[in-house]
Parts: sequence; C-alpha cells; structure tokens
Amino acid sequence: MKTLNEQIAEVIEKEPVALFMKGTPEMIMCGNSQRALKALHAAGAPVTTVDVLPDPRIRQELATLSGWPTIPQVFVKGELIGGADITEELLASGELAQKLDDTLGVMREQNVRTVALELTA
Amino acid sequence: MEAEAIRVVLEQAFPEAVELSVEDRTGTGDHFQVTVSSPSFDGLPLLDQHRRVNDALAAPLGDGSIHELRIKTKGTE
Repeated sequence: MKTLNEQIAEVIEKEPVALFMKGTPEMIMCGNSQRALKALHAAGAPVTTVDVLPDPRIRQELATLSGWPTIPQVFVKGELIGGADITEELLASGELAQKLDDTLGVMREQNVRTVALELTA
Repeated sequence: MEAEAIRVVLEQAFPEAVELSVEDRTGTGDHFQVTVSSPSFDGLPLLDQHRRVNDALAAPLGDGSIHELRIKTKGTE
C-alpha cells in the first residue's frame, strides 16, 4: 500500500483540479471549503475532492507537501493555487477561468469526484 | 486569541504596511479576517503574499489558536 504522503502527492500530480477540503461536496463541514468549491464550480472546473477530516495525518502530510498551513487547498495540474480567499479572488478577476482554459482546455469536463485516501491503522 | 494580539504580530512582520487590520469575525477569538496592504507585496503573486501572512502567523495557526483565517492582501502600486 502506498503511504499517505505518496497518495496525496499522486492526487496533486494526477488530478486536473484537486481540492483538499473539510468534508465532501455532499456534506461540506467548513465554510471556506464551501467557498473554494463554489468558486471552482463557477469557473467551470472539474474537481477532485479529498476529505482531510478522517485523519489528522492527512492535514499534516498535505501541509508538508504544499507548505500551506490551512484547509482548503486548491491545486491545478499539480500547482498550488491557494486557499478559499485566493480562489475567490482569482475567480472574480477572471484569472481562474483563464488558468483552467490554458491548462485544461476550453472544452474541459466539469465533473466532480471524490477520492478517499487509504489509511493505515 | 485577541484580534489585537494578531495585529501586533502582523505589525512586526509588516512594519511597512500602509493598511493593516484584524477583525474577529465571530467574536469567539478564533475566526479572523486580516487585511494587509504593503509595498513589500508589490509585484508579488497573490499566493506568495498570502504565504507571507501565513508565515507570520505560523505559531497561532499551528497550535490551533486560529481556527479560521481569511486573508486579503494587496500591494500599494
């Protein structure tokens, strides 16, 4: 089994848009996670979400990898975009949609899916 | 944590700031909105501007004193 660190790195690297959040799109547990998800939807992004709440180690490993201390965290094609505030600002300025157009194409899919990390005891 | 305590930390980290405010959003001492406008942000990507605020508040973010932090930064150009 892959380590937590490897699994997180893989999501960041492979998913077009990764959102590490508190909860799931069906049950969002934090206002900022909701703001980030909403902004991504508004920009027409496909979103792969990862819930950080099942285990505190997910947050720790993610912070180590990204150098970003808070949740949510948005990545586009492996690049950290920021948290909810930055994602909203980039949506408002049009830069978020532009970035998605540039990296994923204008005809991109916009589906939402959730990845559950495998946790060792 | 008091908003004032956060403001003092940020003032030390950004002595050149032209605007600096901290608002306790919920009145519970753990949800804050901070706003910093500084010439040191000029030309710096938003991500790096926010990183600098996060870095300044690493201790209270790390120990959970700040549960939620909203950041608004801008340069002065």
